[in-house]
Amino acid sequence: MSRGRLGKYSLWQFRDFVVERGVAILIIGLLWGYVLIAPFRAAGGPQLKLNPSSPMWPLLITVASSIVSLSVLIAVNGIVSTDKKMGYYRFLFSKPVSVLAYYVQLYFVHMVGVVAAMLVLSGILRTIVPDFSIVNYLLYTALIFVAMGGIGFFISVATRFDWVTLAAVWLGSRALRDLYGAKPGLPGKLVQVLPPVHKLDAVANGLITNGNAPTTDVIWLLAYGSLFFVLGLVLLRQGSLAD
Amino acid sequence: MPPTFELNRASALVIEFRNVGKTYKSLLGNSVKAVEEFSLQVVEGEILGIAGPNGAGKTTIIAMMLGYLRPTKGTVEINGLPARTYIERNGVGYLSELIAINPKWRAETALVRYATLAGISDAEIPLRVNEVIEKLGLAEHRDKKVKALSKGNLQRLGLAQALLRDDQILVLDEPTHGLDPVWTQRFRDIVEELRRPDRTILIASHNLDELQRLADRVAIIDHGRLQRVVSTGYEQNAPTATRFRLTLAGGFDQIRESFPLAESGGRGEYDVTVRSIQELNTALADLISRGALVVSVVPERSVLEQQFREAVGESQ
Repeated sequence: MSRGRLGKYSLWQFRDFVVERGVAILIIGLLWGYVLIAPFRAAGGPQLKLNPSSPMWPLLITVASSIVSLSVLIAVNGIVSTDKKMGYYRFLFSKPVSVLAYYVQLYFVHMVGVVAAMLVLSGILRTIVPDFSIVNYLLYTALIFVAMGGIGFFISVATRFDWVTLAAVWLGSRALRDLYGAKPGLPGKLVQVLPPVHKLDAVANGLITNGNAPTTDVIWLLAYGSLFFVLGLVLLRQGSLAD
Repeated sequence: MPPTFELNRASALVIEFRNVGKTYKSLLGNSVKAVEEFSLQVVEGEILGIAGPNGAGKTTIIAMMLGYLRPTKGTVEINGLPARTYIERNGVGYLSELIAINPKWRAETALVRYATLAGISDAEIPLRVNEVIEKLGLAEHRDKKVKALSKGNLQRLGLAQALLRDDQILVLDEPTHGLDPVWTQRFRDIVEELRRPDRTILIASHNLDELQRLADRVAIIDHGRLQRVVSTGYEQNAPTATRFRLTLAGGFDQIRESFPLAESGGRGEYDVTVRSIQELNTALADLISRGALVVSVVPERSVLEQQFREAVGESQ
């Protein structure tokens, strides 16, 4: 008996990503970008004079990085939990395929999908803001997919309410670090194990603007996301697909 | 000690449940035992039925067999491998009780996707997909979205994906649920066609008539426990008294000569009770020799139904 053709199935996984998430990501990105860019274009003409030294550049970076975060949230939401919740796993995994390999592949297909969507959006932005680097933006996207997507993957394996949980973890970590990050004692130490969302602003500014970011921050984000991705796989292996 | 059932047959052992248990625990610490001390062996070439009332644990047992659910206790092995390992290497044909296919997929593309995952080559996929579509009468529905299919058609689509590969093991959970009488009969024919010396088929159902017709043995489960394993054939010297309904077309006045305690049900029908198949045949031969015309002899309850009533009654 032959084994399942998982590699070939990645084309179906990518098609599902485009139909179910990619279009939504593009629409949200375009709307969000339009809301930001339209007032500038109305004031300054079709070619914006935005460059890294412009006072509005940080705002552009904030919006661009927020679109990446939102896209990753959309991309990993339900990546495992939907199959469990809806029972799709039953027919998928009666076939000769490894559950782990299936979801590892799906995770990377979604990463490619998000990067492709950001390529489209940044390509459009580049026509208006020539100083905006597409390559740097895609690098940032890949980094955030690993950092945030890894945590999202773990949450999707562990719970059915993954997007709410991931949003709560992401925003909660930021709030708790703001509150206790600089304080001495146990609370200050405990918040250090939360997701390193406080490093995102510096990384976004550095990486998107000039392709440089503090190496330790990048490693910290990558390691944190990767750790949770692996923990998600372990949980998937040890746990049950059925309730 | 829980009852264990081992086959005394030369056929190769395919599926083995060894003292399997599953307990669900809630966050509040409450626990529910869904399956307890379940041991069973299934051999090559066999069609094994799993019967039980609703909530007896049939679907939980199948989920553990497929590795979708981790047993709290015990092991499930297929061909000597942990169940999940076997399936990831070889696959099984599986029809679940609830047909869960993405409602946005079209029927045919759903089959193409499953065929890809099943390892069928690009060249062979159209052939296999067409074959199961024809076999399950889905030709006119192939372009419909899954969400547009009726319950019966969805059930047939579920069965179609289970038959894509020539699997050694087929697991069918409530396979005729939602099927009309024509397709219920067609399903039975398909299962008979699938019977092969090197194939093992498990059918979970609460339809005893279906299991009586299809299965070689039936495991009766209640309250998560294996109550007994019943062979569906009639034993020559079955010790328990069995009631049969005789229908005659003539010679009505002879019935009490051969069956003194026959009870008339009107329209030439009579209920008779015998202690063995031999006694039934002797009395029937006597009745026919007296000139009676026998139209049919039907057991009031099948062997399985009788055993099921006893087993489920005992467990309660």
